[in-house]
Amino acid sequence: MLRILVCVKQVPDVDLVKMDPETGNLVREGVPTLTNPLDTNALEAAVRMKEKFGGEVTVITMGPPMAESTLRECLAVGADKAVLVSGRPFGGADTLSTSYAIVKAADMLGKFDLIFCGKESLDGATGQMASQLAERFDASQVTGCLLIDNYDESKNVLTAQRELETGVETVEASLPCLITVEKLNYHARIPNLKGKLAAKKAVITTLTEKDIADLDMQKIGVPGSGTIVPRIYPPELPEPGMVIDEGSLEKNVAKLVELLAGKGAI
Amino acid sequence: MEKRDYKNMWVYIEHDGNTAAPVGLELCCEIRKLCDVTGDKLYAVVLGDLPAGEIEKVKGCAVDGIIHVSGTGYGYYNTDAYANAFTVLSKKYNPSAIFVGGSINGRDFAPRFAVQLDTGCTSDAMELEYDKETGDIQFIEPAVGGKIMAVITVPALRPQVGTIRPGTFKYAPAGAKAQVEEIEELIDFPVENIRCRHISFKADEFDPELDIAGSDIIVCVGNGLADEDHLPRYRELAKLLGGKLGCTRPLFDREILPYKLQIGQSGVMIKPKLYLGFGVSGAVNHVAGISADTFVAVNSDPEAQIFNYCDYGIVGDMDTVCDALIGALKARQ
Repeated sequence: MLRILVCVKQVPDVDLVKMDPETGNLVREGVPTLTNPLDTNALEAAVRMKEKFGGEVTVITMGPPMAESTLRECLAVGADKAVLVSGRPFGGADTLSTSYAIVKAADMLGKFDLIFCGKESLDGATGQMASQLAERFDASQVTGCLLIDNYDESKNVLTAQRELETGVETVEASLPCLITVEKLNYHARIPNLKGKLAAKKAVITTLTEKDIADLDMQKIGVPGSGTIVPRIYPPELPEPGMVIDEGSLEKNVAKLVELLAGKGAI
Repeated sequence: MEKRDYKNMWVYIEHDGNTAAPVGLELCCEIRKLCDVTGDKLYAVVLGDLPAGEIEKVKGCAVDGIIHVSGTGYGYYNTDAYANAFTVLSKKYNPSAIFVGGSINGRDFAPRFAVQLDTGCTSDAMELEYDKETGDIQFIEPAVGGKIMAVITVPALRPQVGTIRPGTFKYAPAGAKAQVEEIEELIDFPVENIRCRHISFKADEFDPELDIAGSDIIVCVGNGLADEDHLPRYRELAKLLGGKLGCTRPLFDREILPYKLQIGQSGVMIKPKLYLGFGVSGAVNHVAGISADTFVAVNSDPEAQIFNYCDYGIVGDMDTVCDALIGALKARQ
């Protein structure tokens, strides 16, 4: 039986996040959240492994209590168990300290054979978490996985395809293995009624900093972060170009053609 | 050890055994300038064997030294041996910063050795600055979908690790230094300890439609596109102009067009003579990938950021403008 962990994140809809021009702070109030889209593909890959080879899928996330809704979404489409790592001391973490907290929390649940992650998050988009988790889990890693071809139980290895810039690499990885998933072959499934009901009723385990054994408080949250963001600012925009306004769309297009032809651009 | 005791900056030279990937050379050229400000020495780090001609190219980027690592485990890229080599080297030499090209494999192993070294890692910086007071590098990058720029630093830990996307910095070699220190290191990584092993590689079949990096004319469609059914007119326009179709990230996310057509910092960097963007919002990540002689923007929102980057803009419905443009071009022929 494969013990499978899927790491997910609830993210703000970045299209709707705005910067307060006065304070320079990001305005997140009222911005809807969603399950990080690429994480849903990771979950799908995990559930398919469970369906094919037998096993159990646990989803884990770190965040405020409201991140529970993301876990319930995962429970509705094939995850069996869900764990929320939550508590103020975890806040403000970068990938170095988040990966530490997640792995310490996961250790409370026993050993995992497979760990799935989305390729990157919509908001932070560093794409670093997976490799850092793999290191802390002491697992092999297959990043940019297009397809898991096979799992050989007797040898405890899997073969998988990785998407590289110029082609596809086939690799063989020993378990435990962490996999980041390309969405192409792992479209998230739509929850059915049974799944939705089960997800509603499921008990989500919450682990706070007090529940996790041997947690080094200096390695979580802000103190455990390797990076900080001392400053954000709006991108410096060049002066707007010439907006063609000749009175009608046809005239505008004719003017554009004239300008481009005059420049030798067409 | 205090952070100021960590000295010198390293650039990883990614290669396939025959050729050094451009990104490593680009980074050497940029980090050279940074080192001239900080007073650090610049070292290029080469794992496994690379032909002498390519090593000369690396030297041409005015590096102060080359650290060449030989031993078992470097025959084909793998996470375990590559991450381990940097951990071993870094513990021995204590560099202040390590830069790795943000290719798929660079992004695969750099965050991993950063954890092994218990240090901070950043990705996708577009500018690098040095803060004399703190002694920290400022990694400046677009964040939150390109809406803001964020300054990221590694304030206490060393080395400062950064992955940087190919094409972010220019390859402008300053010429070889008279003296280039050559350091040979033997770090054997037992092959049986490689946990994710290369089996085979199948190169993508060449598809000219997907090869947009060198195209002189690009018609780019953005998130303003209603759906796939609206796409053919843009293909027609591209064909009419003798150019190629590209897209912004949302269209890849929406699975309307493939990743290889995604233009921007995390996709293809383009240098066309003419760029025409339809329904493109103008996120920093996208425009950072474009260096066009003539830049045209079409968007229904007069406030769209893309108009700040254009030479000529038209405010209007993208489809209608595209159709009118096709008509006008056909009439000229």
